[in-house]
Formats: sequence, structure tokens, C-alpha cells
Amino acid sequence: MRAEWWHRLVVTVLLVLLALPVLATLAYSLAGNWGATILPDGFTLHWYRLLWADPRFLTAFGHSLAVSVATLALAALVIVPAAFVVFYRFPALDRGMNLLILLPFAVPPVVSSVGLLQLYADGALPIVGTPWILIGCYFTIALPFMYRTLADGLRGMRLHDLMDAAHLLGASTPRAFVLVVLPGLRKGLTASLFLSFSFLLGEFVFANILVGTRYETLQVYLYSVRMTSGHFTSAIVISYFFFTLVLTWFATRLGRQESQV
Amino acid sequence: MLNASSLSARRAPVVLPRCRHWRAALLLLPFILLLALFCLAPLGWVVAHSVRGDDGAFSLGHFREILTSPFYRLAFVNSLDISLRSSALGLVIALAGAASLRRVPGRVQNAVVSFTTMTSNLAGVPLAFAFVILVGTNGVLTLLLRQGMAIDGFNLYSRSGLTLIYTYFQIPLGVLLLYPALDALDDDWRHAASLLGARHWQYGWHVALPVIAPAVCGTFILLFANAMGAYASAYALTTGNFNLVTVRIASLVSGDIFLEPDLAAALSVLLTLLLVLVCAVNQILLKRSYRAR
Amino acid sequence: MSFVTVSGLAKRFAGATVFENVGFSLEQGEFVTLLGPSGCGKSTLLRCLAGLNRPDAGSIHVAGEDITDVVAQRRGIGMVFQNYALFPTMTVEANIGFGLKMQRLPGAEVARRVAEVIGLVELDGKQTQYPHQLSGGQRQRVALARALVVEPRILLLDEPLSALDARIRKNLRDQLRDIQRRLGLTTLFVTHDQEEALILSDRIFVMDRGRIVQADAAETVYTEPATEFVARFMGSCNLLDSADSARLFGRTVSGRLAIRPEAIELLAPGAAAPGDLPATVREHQLLGNVIRYQVESLGALLLVDRLNRGRDDVLAPGSTVGLRVRGEDMREVA
Repeated sequence: MRAEWWHRLVVTVLLVLLALPVLATLAYSLAGNWGATILPDGFTLHWYRLLWADPRFLTAFGHSLAVSVATLALAALVIVPAAFVVFYRFPALDRGMNLLILLPFAVPPVVSSVGLLQLYADGALPIVGTPWILIGCYFTIALPFMYRTLADGLRGMRLHDLMDAAHLLGASTPRAFVLVVLPGLRKGLTASLFLSFSFLLGEFVFANILVGTRYETLQVYLYSVRMTSGHFTSAIVISYFFFTLVLTWFATRLGRQESQV
Repeated sequence: MLNASSLSARRAPVVLPRCRHWRAALLLLPFILLLALFCLAPLGWVVAHSVRGDDGAFSLGHFREILTSPFYRLAFVNSLDISLRSSALGLVIALAGAASLRRVPGRVQNAVVSFTTMTSNLAGVPLAFAFVILVGTNGVLTLLLRQGMAIDGFNLYSRSGLTLIYTYFQIPLGVLLLYPALDALDDDWRHAASLLGARHWQYGWHVALPVIAPAVCGTFILLFANAMGAYASAYALTTGNFNLVTVRIASLVSGDIFLEPDLAAALSVLLTLLLVLVCAVNQILLKRSYRAR
Repeated sequence: MSFVTVSGLAKRFAGATVFENVGFSLEQGEFVTLLGPSGCGKSTLLRCLAGLNRPDAGSIHVAGEDITDVVAQRRGIGMVFQNYALFPTMTVEANIGFGLKMQRLPGAEVARRVAEVIGLVELDGKQTQYPHQLSGGQRQRVALARALVVEPRILLLDEPLSALDARIRKNLRDQLRDIQRRLGLTTLFVTHDQEEALILSDRIFVMDRGRIVQADAAETVYTEPATEFVARFMGSCNLLDSADSARLFGRTVSGRLAIRPEAIELLAPGAAAPGDLPATVREHQLLGNVIRYQVESLGALLLVDRLNRGRDDVLAPGSTVGLRVRGEDMREVA
């Protein structure tokens, strides 16, 4: 009752705190000239126009998109059947899987990079400096999100009952998987794909250490132009942020629909 | 053929069906392969080379070097300090935020959760730049503070500056972790407590906190691990000049000054051990967490 | 003056009115049930009384004191929730003693009163157990003990027996009534189960879509329902429209004619008298100690209840019977 205004206040403060850096960057990207004053001198879209005409930016953005999409396609193709197999045939492995997917969390990207650089610079798999190593590493990044979502979905849909019913009606296991299980996982899967997508677009460590400018992604490009105008870098940040905004918005919308079903 | 024995065999434990479901096991192969190549193999290399001396034999020399060097010790101190502070601060803010979030109307809750998820994307390099704009040498807030309150600015490129950035990206993570955990709190407990004469803080202290304590500790631990392993923001902000463990590891393999992968490996092992320990504690806490009924 | 007086109470949620202009009074020591179907507003009304919801209009007086704006912490009201709301990380003892602890009573005093009330609800031996180790019935008794130990002026119960198995519900129901009588505690009990209401209450307030449609002694609510809604809600009832009523009993009614199934006497063909209604048995249901017949008489379908006197006593479908109803057992309802 009387506490309501307090809760609203706290939530508002939280929102303001979180929004502040974004708003500042947005303002900076739209500002004409902003020296050591609190407010800028004028507003313009000049920086955005400059940015989106820059071939290097577009290439970097394209690289990021390409790698992320390729990773997610690979992840979907590999993880979905794997999760299904674990839950259907080897349910005792679920606990082991949950521990396995913690690995990318417990082992920071920097640490993995040490080994990755040495192992794959030459020799059997010389993929350092190519997008292929990025795809592999990004796979391990997307893995926890996707597996968790799929596991929750499979657990909630009473898999064995559905498969038994499908078998009794004459379907083989693969067919049942495609016709019965996949549709039920679709929403959660798509939501986690969007979420992983935005996460991958923001990845810097692997991209910088393992590939650098040989296959420049968005974040590496952003870092390399840091010495140019702050307005320009702000425009990059806002463009990137807006893009991921749309992605996460989709993800949360889908995720919510799923939980309402 | 479908009969009682085949039905029961389908649900038998792992050992027997592994031979029967070899086709299913094949589907696990690409998954295991990718994980092995990009997660386990590098880790193995790191562990193996951390104990590899300059002559190729087993040696703990690298560890000795790290633990006796004031330079590397400072890296650990800095990392631990920043991580602990940012995690604690981020946790308190996130807890207050998540607790209040549950008491506002449902639609607002959903909007705020979406917004929080979106802002969690602003991490790494973009975040560093955003903070420069905000509280850098000529940042908006810095100027405001200087004019309004005559405080002579704030050094973003210091330990406290990094703590500020780290706290910022810990908050969304904390909120997103704690918000569902607070589901465990039944509203009726609050009502019952107030009818029995408890004020808000008394309810929070006596009833709510014991219930969510495991989740809160678990969240703190995850935040801490997140901070310890963070690299991009600090690197972007200080171009690798600030002495953090992750920055040191990267500089030893990126050939900034010397290329010393084995030393980097040893540093990595120390860091990873710390994090694995921390994650293990988290798992134990989760098991002991309160389960209604 | 009544112990509790509620007048003009109104509550709106998100534009919809839950209830409006509700008023009633409770005498000290009486057991009143707020009875109604789901969604009629009874729980909301109860929570307004407890101070957990803020009414949009009206006032609440307890023992002459206006408590409308008093916070829940200081109303001196005890409440038992449908899902017990026991504090999960505290033992039974700690749960029960919580209210006393909030009053900052000395430890010895708390221990004494907790022990006393544990004896009252018959939970001896369970002091150091945690809620998840107890059965549903035991948990509810802890909830009751916790509400009682602080010696509230009023006890509110929000469907406390709904989550329990039938047999435990019966035991707890009797125990509840027993304790209430012993303590002389003014009690307001919310439920949708009319059987419970009849067994437990001194008075029943029947609620329909936010309005109290009848407030009478339990007996009266059953035998003399004020409206069709009450008649239907309290057990089974035959409700005849004016045409059937005129045709069968020669009575004209503007509303409906209500006759309880047990008030209709079934007479075998040989025992029928000239004034009785002729009827044919359509089917019957065995309800345990009662057999419920569906009979057709002069084009109207009626339910008739008869005590189960054994298999040989059951009337087969198609049998011709006679029906007899006393005038005072027929009530006109709105």
C-alpha cells in the first residue's frame, strides 16, 4: 500500500542507472560538436551517414553477422539432436551435460585462447586467423544458453509420454522427433537463438586474440577506431546496440509466449 | 515388437541401452567433437604447459615465478579487489531492484526484465566507450560534478573506475538471476508476518532472507566468476595497461612484449582453479537451497 | 453495540468492482461463515478486514475503535491462510512464537505460551520439526496455533480446509469449532463449501457477486432461503416456476417455489392418499445414506431424497408413487 511508491521509485532508479550510459552514447552520436561542455552544440545525423558509408565498417559488420549466423546454424544442427538423445535415450547423462556446459563459464575465454592459439596456429588444423576457429569457439559460447533452454523445454513436455504415444500410432523415432518434439521446442529454441545471436555479436576476446584484423569483426573494428572521433565510435555503438535491441526484444517476446502456453 | 519387456527396457539405466542405441549415440558425436576441440583440448594444453619447464620437463617453475613476483601478485590483488567489490555492490543493487520489481504491476515487470536483458548486451568494448562519454575526463557527469559540486572529477582509468564499469555490467546479470529466484517467496508469508506484527525489514530479515540465502550466495558467486574472467571492458578502457590477471594472460600470448605461452598457461591455471573452486561451491549451495515441501 | 461493524465497504480492482456498499456486524464470540462461490469477493472482503487490502470506501470498527486506516501489524487480528503460509526455514516452535517475538516478549514467556497452544492444537512432539516434514493437517494446525498464540481479538480463516483430504478436513473442522468455542473467539470463516458452513457456523453470510444476499442463522439459511441463488447454493433444491407450481400445488408465485428434496414424502402405491400427487420414478442415485430419486409428476421433474433403508426398499424405475409435501415446507423465493 504505502510501500508501493517506494517500489516504483527503486525500479525507476534502476532503469535510469542502466539507461544512463546508453543515453549518453546516443546523445554523443547525434551531437554536432561536443567539447568540454555539458550539452552539445548541435544535433546531426552526420556520424551515422559517415558510418554506414564506410566500407570497412560494413565489411566488419558483415563478418560478424556471417560468423554468428554460421555458428547458430551449426549449434542448432548439433545441439538439438544431442539434447534430444540425452533426454530420450540416456537420461542419466543430463547431470553430466549440465556440468559440461558449465565449462565455458568456468574457463574464461582468455584462458581458452592461450591453448587455442598454440594448438591451431599450424599443424593439423591451422585455423587461427580464419573465421573457422571463431565459429568453433562461438559454438562453445552459445552452448550453455541453448542447451539449458532445450533441456527446460524437453523436461516440460513429458518427452517419454509423447514418444510412446507417437510410437503406438505408428511413427518411427526420427519421424516422431521431427513431427512431435521439434514443434514443441521451436519457440524456446528461437528465443535462445536470438539471445545467443546478440551475445555473439558482442564477443571481443576470441575475435581479438585469435583472429584480429585478419577477419575483422564488429567489435575488433570498434576497438581499432577508438582513437578517431568519439562521435563516430558512439554511432557504431548505438547502431550495434539498436541491432541487438531488436534481437533481444524478439527473444523475450518469444520466451514469454512460450511460458504462457 | 512392442511388449512389456521392450517397453521396460527402453527406460532401463544407461549401461545396457548404450549398445542398443548406438545410432542415437552417434548423434552425440559431433557435439562431443566440437566440445573436445574447442573447449577441452585448449584446457588440456594449458594445464599441460603450465607445468612444463623451459627444458620441456615437468616443473613448477612458472607457478613459483608468478607467486613470488610482486607484479603478478598485484594482478591477482587488483582482479580480486575489483571483482569482489563490483560483485557485492552489483548484488545489493540487483537484490533491491529485483525485490521491488516483484511488487510493481505485471506489465511493468515484463518491460523492465526485457529492458534489463537488452542493457546486458552493452558489455565489453561498447561499454567502455559509453563510460568514457559519461564519466571520462570530459564526460558529461564528470563536468556536471565539477561544476555543480566542485568535486575535481573522477579518474575512470583507475581501480575505482574499473570497479564502476564492472558494477554496471553486473547489475543486469544479478537482476536476471535473482528475479526468478525470488519466486520462491510466497506472498502469503509476507501477509502472515505483517498480521503477526512484523514490519517490512523484520519480514525481510527473519523470513525472506533465510529462504533466498542460497540463491543470493549463488548469484554472488556467479557475478564474481563473471568479473574475474572479464577482459574486454578493461582492455578497451586501458588498452591493456591496467594490471589484471586476464589482461596479463592475454598480453603474454599476444606478443605485446614477450611471448611466453607457458607462463600464460600457468597464470591461466591459477585463475581457472579459483573459478572452478568458486563454481563448485555454487553447485553445493544450490543443492542445499530451500525446496518448498 | 456489535463487536465488529463493517459499513459501506467497497473495493475495486483494475476498473472492475469486486464489491460495493457491503455492511455487516459480528457479535463477540460468534462463528460466522462468509459463504459463496469462487469469485464472489469473499476472500477480498476478508483481506480488507485483515488490513491486507485497502478498501476504496467504507469503514471497519472493532470494539468501538475505527481501524479502517490502521496497518495490519497493529489490528490485533489473527489469520489462517488456505496454503498455511508457514515460514519454511523455521521450526514449528519458531513459527508459532514469531508473533510473540515481534512483540518483544521475554523468552520464557514466549516458550510458555507456545507450549500451551501446542497442547491446545494437539501437536505435542512436533515442536522441532520443519513445515516440510509435516502433513497437511499438521501444517494447518501450526498455522492455527500461530494465529491463536498472540491472543487476537478476531480470527479470520481464508478457506483453511480446502487444501486438505476429506477425512483430515473433517477432523480439523471439529477441532477448530471446539477450540473456537472454548476460547470464545469472534471468528469469520470463508469457504465455498456449504456443508462446512452449516456444520461450523452460528450465522452464515451468503455472498453472490459482491453482495451479501442473506445473513441469518445457519439453520434459517438452509430452511428459509431468501433467494433462488441461496436455495441452489445450499444443498440441492427443487425450484418450480409459476406454471409448474400452479399445476402441481395450486400455488401462484412471482419468483420460484423452492422445495427441499428431503421435504417431499414418497409413498408407495398402496399407501397413497387422495390428496397426494401421482408420480413415476425415472431413476435413482445412491448417495450413501440417502437415495435420491428423480420422479416425474404432471410434467414436472422433481428430486426426492429418502433414507437408504436397504436394497429391498429401493423403488425401480417406472414405479408409480405418490408425493406428499407439507405447506410450510414450500417456500417462495425471489
